[in-house]
Formats: sequence, C-alpha cells, structure tokens
Amino acid sequence: MPASSVEKPLNSPNKGLFNNTAGFSTLITVTVLLLAWLAGFASRLFAVIRFESIIHEFDPWFNYRSTAYMVQHGFYNFLNWFDERAWYPLGRIVGGTVYPGLMITSGTIHWILHTLNIPIHIRDICVFLAPVFSGLTAIATYLLTSELWSRGAGLFAACFIAIVPGYSSRSVAGSYDNEGIAIFALQFTYYLWLKSVKSGSVFWSVCTALSYFYMVSAWGGYVFIINLIPLHVFVLLIMGRFSQRLFVSYTVFYIIGLLLSMQIPFVGFQPIRTSEHMAASGVFALLMAIGALKYLHSLNPKGQWKQLLILGGLLAAAAVFIAVVLLTYMGVIAPWSGRFYSLWDTGYAKIHIPIIASVSEHQPTTWSSFFFDLHVLVCTFPVGLWYCIKNINDERVFVALYALSAVYFAGVMVRLMLTLTPVVCVLAGIAFSILLDLVLREDELPIPQTESEESKSLYDKAGKLKKRAHEPTLPTDNTGLGMNVRSGILIAFMILLMLFSVHCTWATSNAYSSPSIVLASYGNDGSRKILDDFREAYGWLSQNTAEDARVMSWWDYGYQIAGMGNRTTLVDNNTWNNSHIALVGKAMASNESAAYEIMTMLDVDYVLVIFGGAIGYSGDDINKFIWMVRIAEGEHPKDIHEADYFTERGEYRVDSEASKTMLNCLMYKLSYYRYDSGGSPPGYDRTRGALPGNRGFKLTYLEEAYTTEHWLVRIYRVKKPDEFNRPRIPLAKRIISTTNAVSKKTSKRRKGLLKNKPTLVKGKKVSRLE
Amino acid sequence: MKISLILGITACFSIALADQETLVLVDNLNIRDTHSQFFKSLQDRGYLLTFKLADDANLLLSKYGEYLYKNLIIFSPSVVEFGGQIDTETITKFIDDGGNVLIAGNAAAGDVYREIATECGFEMDEDSAAVIDHFNYDMLDDGDHTRIVVSPKNLINAPTIVGSHNTQPLLFEGTGLILDKDNSLVLPILTADSTAYSYNPKSQVKEYPHAVGRKTVLIAALQARNNARIVFSGSLFFFSDEAFNSPVSKVHGDKMKADLSGNKALAVHLSEWAFGERGRLRVRRVHHHRQGESQSSNTYTITDTVVYRIEIEELKNGKWQPFEANDVQLEFVRIDPFIRTTLQKKPNGVYEAVFKVPDVWGVYQFKVDYDRVGYTRLYHTTQVSVRPLQHTQYERFIPSAYPYYVSAFSMMIGVYLFSFVFLYYKEDTPKTKSE
Repeated sequence: MPASSVEKPLNSPNKGLFNNTAGFSTLITVTVLLLAWLAGFASRLFAVIRFESIIHEFDPWFNYRSTAYMVQHGFYNFLNWFDERAWYPLGRIVGGTVYPGLMITSGTIHWILHTLNIPIHIRDICVFLAPVFSGLTAIATYLLTSELWSRGAGLFAACFIAIVPGYSSRSVAGSYDNEGIAIFALQFTYYLWLKSVKSGSVFWSVCTALSYFYMVSAWGGYVFIINLIPLHVFVLLIMGRFSQRLFVSYTVFYIIGLLLSMQIPFVGFQPIRTSEHMAASGVFALLMAIGALKYLHSLNPKGQWKQLLILGGLLAAAAVFIAVVLLTYMGVIAPWSGRFYSLWDTGYAKIHIPIIASVSEHQPTTWSSFFFDLHVLVCTFPVGLWYCIKNINDERVFVALYALSAVYFAGVMVRLMLTLTPVVCVLAGIAFSILLDLVLREDELPIPQTESEESKSLYDKAGKLKKRAHEPTLPTDNTGLGMNVRSGILIAFMILLMLFSVHCTWATSNAYSSPSIVLASYGNDGSRKILDDFREAYGWLSQNTAEDARVMSWWDYGYQIAGMGNRTTLVDNNTWNNSHIALVGKAMASNESAAYEIMTMLDVDYVLVIFGGAIGYSGDDINKFIWMVRIAEGEHPKDIHEADYFTERGEYRVDSEASKTMLNCLMYKLSYYRYDSGGSPPGYDRTRGALPGNRGFKLTYLEEAYTTEHWLVRIYRVKKPDEFNRPRIPLAKRIISTTNAVSKKTSKRRKGLLKNKPTLVKGKKVSRLE
Repeated sequence: MKISLILGITACFSIALADQETLVLVDNLNIRDTHSQFFKSLQDRGYLLTFKLADDANLLLSKYGEYLYKNLIIFSPSVVEFGGQIDTETITKFIDDGGNVLIAGNAAAGDVYREIATECGFEMDEDSAAVIDHFNYDMLDDGDHTRIVVSPKNLINAPTIVGSHNTQPLLFEGTGLILDKDNSLVLPILTADSTAYSYNPKSQVKEYPHAVGRKTVLIAALQARNNARIVFSGSLFFFSDEAFNSPVSKVHGDKMKADLSGNKALAVHLSEWAFGERGRLRVRRVHHHRQGESQSSNTYTITDTVVYRIEIEELKNGKWQPFEANDVQLEFVRIDPFIRTTLQKKPNGVYEAVFKVPDVWGVYQFKVDYDRVGYTRLYHTTQVSVRPLQHTQYERFIPSAYPYYVSAFSMMIGVYLFSFVFLYYKEDTPKTKSE
C-alpha cells in the first residue's frame, strides 16, 4: 500500500530513538492528549467565569429539565413521561420524542458520583458535561487520525479539535445540548468503523454498532453516519475494492446497528420506513448480491465470470434502486422529510416550510464564518485531503467522502458547520504533520522531536500492512531544502499555529460564551453591566402566577418558560406541530379582538413578548415577527397575508409609515404598549431606529402584568370573559345621545341634585310629586 | 327610618343577614308610602331596607372596601346627580363586584338613568318620551294614552324570572327601553304590544320614534357574567300601590278586564329573581374516576372508561336543594369538544356520565356549561391529562409476530444442533486434510 510511503522514510532514522524509549512516545502521546483535554476544558469555561454556572440558550433548558426529571423519577418514568405542561393542550410524550443519550449520560455520571458519596447537583454535571466531552472528542479524533495517517497527525488533530471555535461554539460550559456528546460519538464511531474495515473483525464491527447506538441515542445527526458509511462501502465497491473484510464489517455493523437504533423510541421504525435510511439497506442488499457473485466467481475462477460479475453488480444496484423508488411511491417508505430535502434544494424550506427557514442556524453559511470557525485549518485541510487522495487506501476513501459531504452540508446550513469541523481538524492535522515531517526529517539529532511523529510505527501492528512500498517519491522531492528554508518554514508554521490558538481563544471567549439568557453590555469606560431581564421575568412568572397558568409566547421561549418559570407553555422549541405554532403566530399577527378569540380557545392566561427596543436588543419578537406572519399564513392563508404587514413599497417598518395591519396587530401592541423609554424622544425604538407609529393606545382584552427593568420581557395577563361583565354600549353605538353633565359635587359639598325638588317653605303644605 | 337604621346596624354584626342589606334611593320619602306594598313584601321576606334620598350628601355604597349593601333599589327618576359617593361609576363598580340592582324610572328620568342603562347594555328613550299605545290603554288614563295595559303574554318565557302564574293584565306607565339585538345577556322581560311606540306624548310625532311596536321593551333585565342581576323598569308607577291595587279595563280591543292588575305578583317575582332568591345554581361537588375504581385521578390513559359525577344544587326558599333538570350536558374538550353527552340524572341532584376517553392524548377539560335563561350560569371545568400507553402497557405477544418467534427459536435450536455437528466435524477434517 502506498500509504506507508510517507511514514517509512521517517521511521527508519528514528528507529534507534524509538527502540530505546518505547514508553517515551507513549508518555508524550498521553501528555499531549491530557493537555489537549485540559486546554479544551479550560477554554470552554469563559461563560462560567464571566457569568455563572448556568444552563445556556434554549434547547439546553429542555435537556436540563428532562435530565432533572429523570434523576428525580427514574429512567422508566422518564421514558413514559407525558409532559402536560408543554404544547398545551396537546401535551408531549417526552420519552418518545427525545434522544435520551444526553440525559442518560449525565444521569449515569450523577449516579456514579452519588454512589461514591460525592454529592453534586445535577445542574453542575449538565453545565460541565460538554467541556468534559470535548476532551473525549479530542481522544477520539486522535484515534481516528492515527488510524488514517499517523500518531503525530493524530496529536495535531486532537489539539485542533480541542480548541477550534467551530466545535467549542456548541460545547461551552452550560451549553448542555446533544451536539456536545454527539461529536464524540460521531468521531468514535468513525474510528471504530475504520478499525473494523481494516481488520475485518466481527469484534470491531460490533463495537462500531454499539458506538453507533450511542450516537443514535444522542443526536439526530446519526443519519449522517448511516448515510456516510454506506456511501463509503458503495464507493469502495465501485472502485473494485470489495473484500471479505468489508463484507464482514458492513453486514455485521448494519444489522446490529439497525436493530439497536430501533430500540430508541424516538427513532422507532424509521430506519426501515424512511428514505433517509434507505441508502444503508440498499447498499446492504447490493453487498449481499456482490458477495454472492464473488462466491460464484470463486467456484470457477476461469471463464467469463468477470463480465458476469460486473453485469450482475450493475443489475443488482439497479434492482435495489428501483425497489426503493417503487416502495417510496407505494407509500411503504416515507419520502424525504422537509428538513433533509432542504439540504438538497436550499430554496425549498423558504417556500414550503417557513418554520425551518425561520431558524437562524438553518441559514446558509457565509464565507466569513468558515474562516471564523476554522481559521487556518480551513486553508490547510485541502492539503491533507490531497495527500489522502494521493495515497489512497480503504480508510482514506472514507475520510475523503467525509470531507466532501461535510463541506457541502456546512455550506448549506450554518448548523452543520459542526459536522465539518472534526474532519477539517483531522485533515489539517495530517497536513501539518506531513509538512513538519518534510521540514524536520533530516535533522535527526539536533531538533528534539516534540511533535512525536516518530511514534507512529507503534500502531503498525494493526495488521493490514504486510508489504511496505519502497517508493520514496515524496522524500526525493524535498531533499534540496536548506537549513535556512527549513527554519524559516518552521517559524512560519509556529506563528501560524500560535495565531490559530489566539484566534480560537478569542472567538470562544467573545462570540460563543454568552449564555444568551443573561446579557452583558459594556459602558464607554469598559464597565460591564449585566442585564438579567429574562430570569427576572421567568422568576416573576414562577412566583406570581397560578401553578397551572398557561403562558403564550413565540416558540423560542417555550423551553425557558418551562425550565425557569415552571409554567405551562403552548409551543416550544420542539417544533413538532406546525399548525399549533401557526395558531400562536396567527394570534400574534391578528388584531386584539381576533387574537382574543384564539387565546380564549387555547385557555391562555398570560402572554409573554420580548421587546428589545429600549436597549437595542436585536433578537426580539418584532424582528422575528415576519416569520410568525409567514408561518401563520402557511396554515391560515385566508386570514393572514404577509403583504399586509409591509408598507406599500415593501418595507418592514414600525414607524408612522408602517401598514395599518402592522400597527394594530397584537405583537405590535404588546411590544409598544405604554413604552416611553429608549432615550429621546421618549418611546424611541433603538433596535429599529424609529419612533413607533402607533402610540398611546389602550388594550382592551389584555392588561400589563409585568415588565422587566429594561423592557426586555413584557408579560400581559389575558382578561377572562367574566371580566367583560356587562355588555356596555359604547358611546358611538348609542341611539339616544346623552349630555355629558359635569359633576357639581365638590369635596366639600357632596349633595346631589334632584329635579323639581320640593323646597320646604314654612307654612305651606308639602305637595306630592307622584 | 330609625328602625331600619337600627336594624341595619344590628345586621352589620350578623353575616347571615348580609345578603339582605338593601339600599333604597328615592326622590322623596313619600315613595315609602306610595310604594308601601312592594317594600313591605321585601321586608316580609327579610330584607333590611335603608331608605335614603338620592341627593343625600352622605350616600355610601362601600366603606373600607367592603360593600355595605348587597342590593340596590333606585326609585328616584328625578335625580340629576346622586349625592355622596354614588355616581354611575360606583354603581357599575357595584354591579361588577356582584351587587344586584333594581331600577325604575319614568318619562321624566334624567341622563343618569340613561348612563346606568347603557352601562348595562340597554338604552332608555329620550327625556320626556313615554310609551304610548292608542289601542291598549287603561280606563283611568288621563288622555295621553300612556297608562297602557299589557297582556301577560308579552312576558318573557322564563318562569324563574317572572313566575308561572301571570294571567292578569299589567299596568304600565313610563318610558320605553331599547335593546341591542346582538346582545345575548340582556333579557326583554316585558315588551309592549305591536301598536305601541315611545315618544313625547305632549308633542307631535315629527321623527320616527326610537322604539316602535314590540321592540319597545318595558322591563329589561341583565344577568351579568358574574351573575349580578339588574332589573330595569321604565316605569316607577309599575311598582306603586296604585298600580298594584287598581282594576284594569282596556278601552279598545278585546276588552281585557280584571279586578286587580297582575303588577304585584310580577313585581314580587321580579324582585325575588333580581335579589337572588330564585334561579341560583351552584356546583356542590365534582368527582371523576376510572370505572371500577373509586379513587379520583388527574391522569387517564387513552381509551379508559371514565365516570364523571357532578352534584348541582339550586337555591329554593333560602335553602340549597338538589337541582332537577334533564338537559345538563358534559363536554370533554381539548380545544374542540371530543365528547359531548347529556348527563344522566341520579337521585339527590347528582348527574353522571360514563364514557370512553378518546384515543387521542393531550390535556382535556371536563366542562359543564349550563346556561339557561333565568338561572345563574353554571360553568365548571376540571383539567385532566390523557396520556398514551406506557411502554409496559402495550400488547406483549401480537399474533402477527408469531412467524418471527418461530424463526428466532428455530434458529436458536438450529445453531445449537449445528454447533454439535460443527464440533464433531472439525475433529475429522484436520485429519483428512493432513492426510
């Protein structure tokens, strides 16, 4: 295999050193990995140090709430948990609609620690779980990279993944989300897969399936694995690299992985019923067919079996493909779900599923964010990819496919940057390793080999490398490098890596460490001011409203209201029911009386809106409002029209030129009701830089219940029908006009007035009136 | 006056009597005499009447946030402005806080009356307008045809409000009321005949009258959403001794004649209803449980059979007694009603429904909404959650899975047998190969 061509020349000069200090390289490896773990852990603590040990953002609040529930009530009660406080009045079966891996992981840690009599609150475990797992991810990446290339490259990759912003963005302390542990499971599954492809052993395949099971239980991104591994197998088949090892490892992995993945209630029968999983079973059938043909071929190696083999393979592939298509048309297999479909057709979600398009992390990635999240790695990983393709073998085919697909997906959705980051780290690690090899190769003695490239021969016992190619193509190219050039390049690389780590620390600290439920603002003198409005509002809800009060808000805040306010919500971040969300969107987009009908139908007690106009917070509900309108229009096209909310020139405004519908909708009124802050002139909206067009209005069906210090969260109470006690006839509808008599009563003279009051005159008889 | 004051003071100490505290606002204290029969009937039923002049400077409805009276009677049509702390606002506040009001006016009633009326959802005709009926006026009419005779057939069909024995013709003299058609809470208790209209009897009819024919409402009532009751009569004369005692004989038409008008019976009934002696319902107890269990539960599983019992009581003669009806319905609601069923009547005012919970999980409400004319609104909801099957509650062995069980077990047996074959075969093969 050509793979070893790079390693070979390196190994020979170091052989002496390596043989003498067999444990030395292991020590370096362990030290580097430990330091990577430590650095990764430490760099994720900015949020805890700056703010406090708190759960961040939106989804983590649900994960935390359900983890706490599981710890309190036990696993089986968690599995059967019917949460009547979410999605009122539909409720949510939490056990069946959640990937439980995260909760089970932290629950297990909690249990172990408590068994050892270490009393730690489950919240702290949840807060620090992701940073701890980043170290495990580093180790898994190391293993994967050393399987692909060399241990030195593995150490580079481990160090990269430990601190790269693209990964730490989702795994800072407090960011208690599925991705935190799923990236570890992803990398580890890939490592085990490569191991099993290399060795062809059932043991490693079963390990792969088990790791895959953990991944399935942790994150919906497992679909990436169950498509990428079949793709790998398929490409290997096309390349004519079919082998017994491949056959054993894939068939064992697929069947065990399939059965295990179906044990997760949320996944259920999806692996055999939906299009997303069909590639895996198709490749399985194809592999079986080719295996059978190969067997026939081995019975009679002579003759025209080869043509038959190719033809048979093609026929089998066609048959499998047609079968899948046919089954999809018959409705046995569900077609691509919208979320997956939008990966291929990027405009699809915007037209058909506004709820997917409305999420900021589902937007296409900008070029700058590639550099921001990956920095120098994004420039160097093509080098690693090029080397991998140049020195191709079974597992390098895999990493090439991994890289190409991940780059595509990361370009489609910001969120999938996360799946790109590990492979970029792996390939950049390989690239850096190769380049340093070139620079350091001939300096056997003078430069101590801190990068430990020498150690890679250790893993060679993995078995597949029987023959070592003796074609020193690469080294010969580089023999002419002079001493100055070498040290120059070396210094340049060191500076690059230093800049990289500086950037990583800066990005993690400044961009990704905000809990987003506690905001910080900086004054002109650099002083920091904490805006704790969210928790203030949720605290108010939990203290001052009835236990079973139902709070309506846009779905973004559902998990937080449930987690911090402990109140029933109508919609939340688990956006499983589009029509229910559309109903809430319709209520927000309608005028007050129409909204009141919807709110009484849904038994709403309180309405919560986020208004950032006073402090210039741009992520508030008015800025999200157009998505509410779009989602509502999708379900209620007769009542809501998006165009009504824009001005005639198609602008989205809130000032006096805004459209009438906009100025009278519930969201607008709830945001600007009684608003007089925001600097001069009073009532100025700092987020949109405009003076609201409709001010000084009164609310009929709602009353203000609470507004936080910086106007960020506003809570309104919905009046109950019996508060509209009497059918008062408004002045405009009266038939008989009355004169508005001014009261003649004063604070001193409280006497009223009667018409024709009999005046008492002495000596006269009082006359009767009636 | 003195006696009532003393009585009032003593009543302050007795909570049981708090319901009977009544303030009567009058133009002049003569009204006590001219309407003595009506007031006497109230006093006989235990009401403590406090008579005050409407312009009294010390009028008070509430003190320190507590209401001094439960009921308010306004018999002072000539009031321009109430004295003391009372004005339209305090009266509407009194209604919103659950107080009952009986108001009677006449053609001369001022704008204060009109304001109170509009606050309650009906309108009183213009100043000095009176209901005129040239076909149905009484013998004793003074020529304006405003003292009209109204047949009891024009009464609203609601025995709880007007009683069931109204056969005598009614005498009415006063102004007409106009009701909003869209308004479902307001009840036209007595309407005029189709020949009536409401206008100033002293002037020529130049404009189209505001109220014509049967749309002219003589007595209107409102039961607010908080079950406060307001009876608004256009005629103070209606409640007077004169109307109670005088014989009725119509001049034209079918010569309706009676020795005694039906005013007294109706007035007494109306006051009974207005002050909450009749038509009051309450829920005594609600109980729901799974069939076969007795313990109440807040969580049901889909397709459970549920027993729902509600005990309803009615106030009769001052006592809460079982309520008898056969049209009480129960809804099982999750946004929309999934089940709507009539409750079965059981003894002692218990109503029961047994039904199967729908096969749809979610948060439901048992909802009993019994809203009948003349009765207070009975509205009771109980929230329960209906959860899906637990993972242990599914069928363990389903028939369609038997082929798979067979295949699994046959495979196990096969492997077991095969392992023997394999073991013994293996010992043979190396020999043959080595040989």
